[in-house]
Amino acid sequence: MNTNKWSTWILSVAASVTIVVACSGRFHGQTADVKPFDASSGPTKGWSVQVERVDPGQLDLTPSFQVAIYENLLQELNKTERFKQVLREGDSKASELPNLLILKTTVARYARGSETQRAVTTVSGATKLTVRSQLVTPEGRIVLERTVNGNARFFGSNLRATHNLARNIAKVIKQSEWRGSEPANAVLTSLPW
Amino acid sequence: MYRLFVLGNYKSGCGRHALMSLTALLLCSGIGALAQNNALPLNTNTLFSIRATHLLGFPNTKNNCRGTLSTQDNWLRFQQTGELGAQVDIASIRHVFLGEETMQVGGLPMKIGKAAAPYGGGRVVSLFAHKKYDTLTMEYVDSDGGIHGAIFQVTKGQGELVRNGLLARGVSSSPGDGRTTNQDSLGGTHEYK
Repeated sequence: MNTNKWSTWILSVAASVTIVVACSGRFHGQTADVKPFDASSGPTKGWSVQVERVDPGQLDLTPSFQVAIYENLLQELNKTERFKQVLREGDSKASELPNLLILKTTVARYARGSETQRAVTTVSGATKLTVRSQLVTPEGRIVLERTVNGNARFFGSNLRATHNLARNIAKVIKQSEWRGSEPANAVLTSLPW
Repeated sequence: MYRLFVLGNYKSGCGRHALMSLTALLLCSGIGALAQNNALPLNTNTLFSIRATHLLGFPNTKNNCRGTLSTQDNWLRFQQTGELGAQVDIASIRHVFLGEETMQVGGLPMKIGKAAAPYGGGRVVSLFAHKKYDTLTMEYVDSDGGIHGAIFQVTKGQGELVRNGLLARGVSSSPGDGRTTNQDSLGGTHEYK
Protein backbone atom coordinates (compact mmCIF):
# COMPACT_ATOMS: atom_id res chain seq x y z
CA MET A 1 0.00 0.00 0.00
CA ASN A 2 2.77 2.36 1.00
CA THR A 3 4.75 1.44 -2.09
CA ASN A 4 1.69 2.12 -4.19
CA LYS A 5 1.25 5.59 -2.72
CA TRP A 6 4.93 6.30 -3.15
CA SER A 7 4.89 5.33 -6.83
CA THR A 8 1.76 7.42 -7.43
CA TRP A 9 3.46 10.40 -5.85
CA ILE A 10 6.58 9.88 -8.01
CA LEU A 11 4.45 9.57 -11.11
CA SER A 12 2.56 12.77 -10.37
CA VAL A 13 5.79 14.67 -9.75
CA ALA A 14 7.26 13.33 -12.97
CA ALA A 15 4.11 14.30 -14.86
CA SER A 16 4.21 17.81 -13.38
CA VAL A 17 7.87 18.23 -14.30
CA THR A 18 7.16 16.99 -17.83
CA ILE A 19 4.25 19.41 -18.21
CA VAL A 20 6.31 22.34 -16.90
CA VAL A 21 9.23 21.54 -19.21
CA ALA A 22 6.94 21.05 -22.18
CA CYS A 23 5.12 24.28 -21.50
CA SER A 24 8.30 26.25 -21.06
CA GLY A 25 9.61 24.84 -24.35
CA ARG A 26 6.33 25.71 -26.03
CA PHE A 27 6.34 29.25 -24.67
CA HIS A 28 9.94 29.60 -25.72
CA GLY A 29 9.02 28.35 -29.20
CA GLN A 30 6.12 30.73 -29.36
CA THR A 31 8.35 33.65 -28.51
CA ALA A 32 10.70 32.55 -31.24
CA ASP A 33 7.75 32.33 -33.62
CA VAL A 34 6.42 35.72 -32.62
CA LYS A 35 9.70 37.48 -33.21
CA PRO A 36 9.68 37.06 -36.99
CA PHE A 37 6.04 38.16 -36.98
CA ASP A 38 7.01 41.32 -35.17
CA ALA A 39 9.86 41.75 -37.56
CA SER A 40 7.55 41.44 -40.53
CA SER A 41 4.84 43.70 -39.24
CA GLY A 42 7.08 45.79 -37.06
CA PRO A 43 8.80 47.99 -39.64
CA THR A 44 5.83 50.33 -39.64
CA LYS A 45 6.58 51.03 -36.01
CA GLY A 46 10.09 52.01 -37.05
CA TRP A 47 8.80 54.20 -39.83
CA SER A 48 7.64 57.75 -39.62
CA VAL A 49 5.28 59.61 -41.86
CA GLN A 50 5.21 63.23 -42.84
CA VAL A 51 1.83 64.55 -43.87
CA GLU A 52 1.85 67.13 -46.61
CA ARG A 53 -0.78 69.78 -47.02
CA VAL A 54 -3.72 68.92 -49.24
CA ASP A 55 -3.31 69.76 -52.89
CA PRO A 56 -6.67 71.04 -54.21
CA GLY A 57 -5.63 70.30 -57.78
CA GLN A 58 -7.80 72.13 -60.28
CA LEU A 59 -10.76 72.21 -57.94
CA ASP A 60 -12.09 75.15 -56.01
CA LEU A 61 -11.74 73.59 -52.59
CA THR A 62 -12.14 76.09 -49.79
CA PRO A 63 -9.11 76.60 -47.49
CA SER A 64 -11.16 75.46 -44.52
CA PHE A 65 -11.62 72.05 -46.16
CA GLN A 66 -7.94 71.78 -47.02
CA VAL A 67 -6.93 72.61 -43.47
CA ALA A 68 -9.57 70.33 -41.98
CA ILE A 69 -8.43 67.35 -44.07
CA TYR A 70 -4.80 68.02 -43.13
CA GLU A 71 -5.48 68.33 -39.41
CA ASN A 72 -7.86 65.37 -39.30
CA LEU A 73 -5.31 63.23 -41.17
CA LEU A 74 -2.66 64.00 -38.58
CA GLN A 75 -5.07 63.10 -35.81
CA GLU A 76 -6.28 59.88 -37.40
CA LEU A 77 -2.79 58.68 -38.36
CA ASN A 78 -1.67 59.18 -34.78
CA LYS A 79 -4.60 57.06 -33.64
CA THR A 80 -3.58 54.12 -35.86
CA GLU A 81 -0.24 53.77 -34.01
CA ARG A 82 1.28 52.33 -37.18
CA PHE A 83 4.00 54.93 -37.34
CA LYS A 84 6.73 55.86 -34.96
CA GLN A 85 6.14 59.54 -35.56
CA VAL A 86 3.58 61.52 -37.49
CA LEU A 87 5.11 64.78 -38.64
CA ARG A 88 3.69 67.89 -40.17
CA GLU A 89 4.78 69.44 -43.42
CA GLY A 90 7.83 71.62 -42.94
CA ASP A 91 8.88 69.94 -39.69
CA SER A 92 12.65 70.21 -39.43
CA LYS A 93 12.84 66.88 -37.56
CA ALA A 94 11.92 65.04 -40.75
CA SER A 95 15.41 65.41 -42.22
CA GLU A 96 16.91 63.54 -39.28
CA LEU A 97 14.63 60.50 -39.54
CA PRO A 98 16.04 57.49 -41.40
CA ASN A 99 12.77 55.74 -42.32
CA LEU A 100 10.43 58.39 -43.55
CA LEU A 101 7.42 58.23 -45.81
CA ILE A 102 5.58 61.23 -47.17
CA LEU A 103 1.80 61.22 -47.41
CA LYS A 104 0.54 63.25 -50.36
CA THR A 105 -3.15 63.98 -50.77
CA THR A 106 -4.62 65.38 -53.96
CA VAL A 107 -8.29 66.19 -54.27
CA ALA A 108 -9.82 64.44 -57.27
CA ARG A 109 -13.48 65.27 -56.82
CA TYR A 110 -15.43 67.58 -54.59
CA ALA A 111 -19.15 68.18 -54.39
CA ARG A 112 -20.12 70.90 -51.99
CA GLY A 113 -23.29 69.94 -50.18
CA SER A 114 -25.68 71.79 -47.93
CA GLU A 115 -26.56 70.93 -44.38
CA THR A 116 -29.96 72.57 -44.76
CA GLN A 117 -30.70 70.57 -47.90
CA ARG A 118 -29.71 67.39 -46.08
CA ALA A 119 -31.93 68.26 -43.15
CA VAL A 120 -34.91 69.04 -45.35
CA THR A 121 -34.68 66.30 -47.97
CA THR A 122 -32.46 63.64 -46.32
CA VAL A 123 -31.46 62.23 -49.71
CA SER A 124 -29.80 65.23 -51.33
CA GLY A 125 -27.24 67.81 -50.33
CA ALA A 126 -24.43 65.41 -49.46
CA THR A 127 -20.90 66.75 -49.32
CA LYS A 128 -18.63 64.37 -51.21
CA LEU A 129 -14.88 64.29 -51.30
CA THR A 130 -12.65 61.99 -53.30
CA VAL A 131 -8.89 62.19 -52.94
CA ARG A 132 -5.88 60.36 -54.24
CA SER A 133 -3.55 59.44 -51.41
CA GLN A 134 0.05 58.49 -52.05
CA LEU A 135 2.68 57.29 -49.65
CA VAL A 136 6.04 58.05 -51.19
CA THR A 137 9.61 57.67 -50.08
CA PRO A 138 11.86 60.77 -49.91
CA GLU A 139 13.36 59.56 -53.21
CA GLY A 140 9.95 59.81 -54.80
CA ARG A 141 9.07 56.12 -55.03
CA ILE A 142 5.36 55.47 -54.55
CA VAL A 143 4.75 52.66 -52.06
CA LEU A 144 0.99 53.07 -51.75
CA GLU A 145 -1.57 54.78 -53.93
CA ARG A 146 -5.26 54.70 -53.21
CA THR A 147 -8.37 56.65 -54.07
CA VAL A 148 -10.39 57.32 -50.94
CA ASN A 149 -13.83 58.85 -50.41
CA GLY A 150 -15.29 60.84 -47.56
CA ASN A 151 -18.88 61.99 -47.41
CA ALA A 152 -21.28 63.82 -45.15
CA ARG A 153 -24.63 62.34 -46.14
CA PHE A 154 -27.12 62.70 -43.34
CA PHE A 155 -25.90 64.35 -40.18
CA GLY A 156 -23.39 66.98 -39.26
CA SER A 157 -21.84 69.94 -40.95
CA ASN A 158 -20.06 69.91 -44.29
CA LEU A 159 -16.70 69.71 -42.54
CA ARG A 160 -17.68 66.31 -41.22
CA ALA A 161 -16.84 64.94 -44.66
CA THR A 162 -13.19 65.82 -44.02
CA HIS A 163 -13.22 63.84 -40.79
CA ASN A 164 -14.73 60.81 -42.51
CA LEU A 165 -12.21 61.11 -45.33
CA ALA A 166 -9.24 61.28 -42.97
CA ARG A 167 -10.55 58.28 -41.06
CA ASN A 168 -10.88 56.30 -44.29
CA ILE A 169 -7.35 57.19 -45.41
CA ALA A 170 -5.96 56.14 -42.04
CA LYS A 171 -7.95 52.91 -42.26
CA VAL A 172 -6.52 52.11 -45.70
CA ILE A 173 -2.99 52.71 -44.43
CA LYS A 174 -3.62 50.69 -41.29
CA GLN A 175 -4.96 47.73 -43.24
CA SER A 176 -2.06 47.74 -45.65
CA GLU A 177 0.67 45.18 -45.19
CA TRP A 178 4.34 46.06 -45.17
CA ARG A 179 6.96 44.21 -47.14
CA GLY A 180 10.61 45.06 -47.08
CA SER A 181 12.62 46.94 -44.56
CA GLU A 182 14.43 49.46 -46.69
CA PRO A 183 12.72 52.44 -48.26
CA ALA A 184 13.77 51.33 -51.73
CA ASN A 185 12.16 47.92 -51.25
CA ALA A 186 9.19 48.96 -49.19
CA VAL A 187 5.88 47.98 -50.67
CA LEU A 188 2.50 48.49 -49.11
CA THR A 189 -0.32 46.34 -50.26
CA SER A 190 -3.86 46.60 -49.10
CA LEU A 191 -5.27 43.61 -47.32
CA PRO A 192 -8.66 42.38 -48.51
CA TRP A 193 -11.49 43.56 -46.26
CA MET B 1 -47.85 129.41 -15.55
CA TYR B 2 -44.92 130.40 -13.41
CA ARG B 3 -46.20 128.32 -10.56
CA LEU B 4 -43.44 125.78 -10.79
CA PHE B 5 -40.78 128.42 -11.06
CA VAL B 6 -42.32 130.34 -8.19
CA LEU B 7 -42.58 127.22 -6.13
CA GLY B 8 -39.00 126.54 -6.95
CA ASN B 9 -38.06 129.94 -5.79
CA TYR B 10 -39.84 129.34 -2.56
CA LYS B 11 -37.98 126.08 -1.98
CA SER B 12 -35.29 126.07 0.56
CA GLY B 13 -31.74 126.73 -0.56
CA CYS B 14 -30.72 123.29 0.64
CA GLY B 15 -33.02 121.49 -1.87
CA ARG B 16 -31.78 123.55 -4.77
CA HIS B 17 -28.24 122.85 -3.78
CA ALA B 18 -28.90 119.13 -3.68
CA LEU B 19 -30.51 119.26 -7.13
CA MET B 20 -27.53 121.10 -8.57
CA SER B 21 -25.14 118.66 -6.97
CA LEU B 22 -27.04 115.74 -8.41
CA THR B 23 -27.02 117.27 -11.89
CA ALA B 24 -23.29 117.96 -11.64
CA LEU B 25 -22.69 114.40 -10.50
CA LEU B 26 -24.69 112.98 -13.40
CA LEU B 27 -22.84 115.19 -15.87
CA CYS B 28 -19.47 114.19 -14.47
CA SER B 29 -20.27 110.48 -14.56
CA GLY B 30 -21.61 110.87 -18.11
CA ILE B 31 -18.43 112.57 -19.22
CA GLY B 32 -16.42 109.90 -17.42
CA ALA B 33 -18.30 107.15 -19.21
CA LEU B 34 -17.80 108.91 -22.54
CA ALA B 35 -14.11 109.24 -21.81
CA GLN B 36 -13.96 105.53 -21.00
CA ASN B 37 -15.69 104.61 -24.26
CA ASN B 38 -13.29 106.76 -26.20
CA ALA B 39 -10.29 105.27 -24.45
CA LEU B 40 -11.11 101.69 -25.51
CA PRO B 41 -10.32 101.92 -29.22
CA LEU B 42 -7.14 103.82 -28.45
CA ASN B 43 -5.71 100.70 -26.85
CA THR B 44 -3.83 99.42 -29.86
CA ASN B 45 -2.60 96.31 -28.07
CA THR B 46 -6.05 94.74 -28.31
CA LEU B 47 -7.23 94.56 -31.90
CA PHE B 48 -10.34 92.55 -31.27
CA SER B 49 -12.00 90.28 -28.75
CA ILE B 50 -14.93 88.29 -30.02
CA ARG B 51 -16.89 85.18 -29.18
CA ALA B 52 -15.94 82.29 -31.44
CA THR B 53 -16.28 78.53 -31.76
CA HIS B 54 -13.05 76.63 -32.17
CA LEU B 55 -13.68 73.95 -34.77
CA LEU B 56 -10.24 72.40 -34.89
CA GLY B 57 -6.50 72.93 -34.98
CA PHE B 58 -5.65 75.39 -32.19
CA PRO B 59 -3.11 73.97 -29.72
CA ASN B 60 -4.33 72.50 -26.43
CA THR B 61 -7.93 73.33 -27.24
CA LYS B 62 -10.88 71.00 -27.58
CA ASN B 63 -12.67 70.84 -30.90
CA ASN B 64 -16.08 72.46 -31.22
CA CYS B 65 -15.85 74.54 -28.08
CA ARG B 66 -16.89 78.12 -27.55
CA GLY B 67 -14.67 80.80 -26.17
CA THR B 68 -13.17 84.21 -26.74
CA LEU B 69 -10.83 84.88 -29.62
CA SER B 70 -8.69 87.93 -29.06
CA THR B 71 -5.35 89.50 -29.69
CA GLN B 72 -3.10 90.80 -26.99
CA ASP B 73 0.21 92.36 -27.94
CA ASN B 74 1.70 89.90 -30.43
CA TRP B 75 -0.47 86.92 -29.53
CA LEU B 76 -3.66 85.52 -30.90
CA ARG B 77 -5.51 83.96 -28.01
CA PHE B 78 -8.43 81.64 -27.62
CA GLN B 79 -9.81 81.08 -24.18
CA GLN B 80 -12.68 78.89 -23.16
CA THR B 81 -14.80 80.19 -20.33
CA GLY B 82 -13.24 79.24 -17.04
CA GLU B 83 -10.45 77.19 -18.60
CA LEU B 84 -6.87 77.57 -19.66
CA GLY B 85 -6.40 79.35 -22.92
CA ALA B 86 -4.02 78.82 -25.79
CA GLN B 87 -2.16 81.37 -27.80
CA VAL B 88 -0.21 81.58 -31.00
CA ASP B 89 2.35 84.16 -31.99
CA ILE B 90 0.82 86.36 -34.68
CA ALA B 91 4.20 86.40 -36.44
CA SER B 92 3.88 82.64 -36.91
CA ILE B 93 0.53 82.96 -38.74
CA ARG B 94 1.24 82.67 -42.44
CA HIS B 95 -2.20 82.92 -43.99
CA VAL B 96 -5.71 83.79 -42.93
CA PHE B 97 -8.78 83.03 -45.02
CA LEU B 98 -12.36 84.07 -44.59
CA GLY B 99 -15.16 81.77 -45.60
CA GLU B 100 -18.88 81.38 -45.08
CA GLU B 101 -20.92 78.45 -43.89
CA THR B 102 -24.60 77.87 -43.37
CA MET B 103 -25.37 75.65 -40.44
CA GLN B 104 -28.43 74.31 -38.73
CA VAL B 105 -29.04 75.87 -35.34
CA GLY B 106 -30.20 74.31 -32.11
CA GLY B 107 -27.80 71.41 -31.90
CA LEU B 108 -28.87 67.99 -30.70
CA PRO B 109 -32.06 69.06 -28.84
CA MET B 110 -33.32 70.72 -31.99
CA LYS B 111 -32.46 67.64 -34.05
CA ILE B 112 -34.40 65.40 -31.67
CA GLY B 113 -37.30 67.81 -31.72
CA LYS B 114 -37.34 67.88 -35.49
CA ALA B 115 -37.20 64.10 -35.69
CA ALA B 116 -40.07 63.79 -33.25
CA ALA B 117 -42.27 66.32 -35.03
CA PRO B 118 -45.19 64.59 -36.79
CA TYR B 119 -46.02 64.77 -40.50
CA GLY B 120 -42.52 65.82 -41.43
CA GLY B 121 -42.86 69.06 -39.55
CA GLY B 122 -39.21 68.87 -38.63
CA ARG B 123 -38.23 69.32 -42.24
CA VAL B 124 -40.20 72.53 -42.45
CA VAL B 125 -38.47 73.75 -39.30
CA SER B 126 -35.11 72.88 -40.90
CA LEU B 127 -35.93 75.22 -43.76
CA PHE B 128 -35.82 78.16 -41.40
CA ALA B 129 -33.59 76.94 -38.58
CA HIS B 130 -30.29 77.74 -40.18
CA LYS B 131 -27.82 80.53 -39.75
CA LYS B 132 -24.88 81.89 -41.67
CA TYR B 133 -21.49 82.02 -40.02
CA ASP B 134 -18.06 83.23 -41.00
CA THR B 135 -15.28 80.71 -40.86
CA LEU B 136 -11.76 81.88 -40.18
CA THR B 137 -9.09 79.54 -41.40
CA MET B 138 -5.49 80.18 -40.48
CA GLU B 139 -2.21 78.50 -41.15
CA TYR B 140 0.62 78.94 -38.70
CA VAL B 141 3.96 77.30 -38.06
CA ASP B 142 5.34 75.91 -34.82
CA SER B 143 8.86 76.26 -33.48
CA ASP B 144 10.00 73.22 -35.53
CA GLY B 145 8.62 74.69 -38.72
CA GLY B 146 5.68 72.29 -38.88
CA ILE B 147 2.58 73.74 -40.49
CA HIS B 148 -0.62 73.84 -38.45
CA GLY B 149 -4.10 74.83 -39.45
CA ALA B 150 -6.90 76.16 -37.28
CA ILE B 151 -10.53 76.90 -38.03
CA PHE B 152 -12.81 79.20 -36.05
CA GLN B 153 -16.45 79.90 -36.55
CA VAL B 154 -17.63 83.41 -35.73
CA THR B 155 -20.82 85.41 -36.09
CA LYS B 156 -21.36 86.69 -39.60
CA GLY B 157 -19.57 89.97 -40.12
CA GLN B 158 -17.06 89.49 -37.34
CA GLY B 159 -14.77 87.34 -39.44
CA GLU B 160 -13.92 90.38 -41.54
CA LEU B 161 -12.91 92.24 -38.39
CA VAL B 162 -10.52 89.49 -37.33
CA ARG B 163 -9.09 89.06 -40.80
CA ASN B 164 -8.49 92.77 -41.21
CA GLY B 165 -6.89 92.89 -37.78
CA LEU B 166 -4.50 90.11 -38.71
CA LEU B 167 -3.82 91.55 -42.15
CA ALA B 168 -2.86 94.80 -40.46
CA ARG B 169 -0.27 92.82 -38.54
CA GLY B 170 1.28 91.55 -41.76
CA VAL B 171 -0.48 88.21 -42.17
CA SER B 172 -1.26 87.42 -45.80
CA SER B 173 -4.70 86.42 -46.97
CA SER B 174 -3.69 84.12 -49.81
CA PRO B 175 -0.79 81.73 -50.31
CA GLY B 176 0.30 83.66 -53.38
CA ASP B 177 1.05 86.97 -51.72
CA GLY B 178 2.48 85.42 -48.59
CA ARG B 179 5.45 86.99 -46.95
CA THR B 180 8.37 84.77 -46.21
CA THR B 181 8.50 83.72 -42.60
CA ASN B 182 11.69 83.14 -40.77
CA GLN B 183 10.87 79.86 -39.11
CA ASP B 184 13.83 80.02 -36.77
CA SER B 185 12.57 83.16 -35.14
CA LEU B 186 9.01 82.02 -34.66
CA GLY B 187 7.70 81.67 -31.18
CA GLY B 188 5.37 78.75 -31.82
CA THR B 189 2.56 77.97 -29.48
CA HIS B 190 2.25 78.47 -25.79
CA GLU B 191 -0.25 77.94 -23.08
CA TYR B 192 -1.16 80.66 -20.70
CA LYS B 193 -3.34 81.09 -17.68
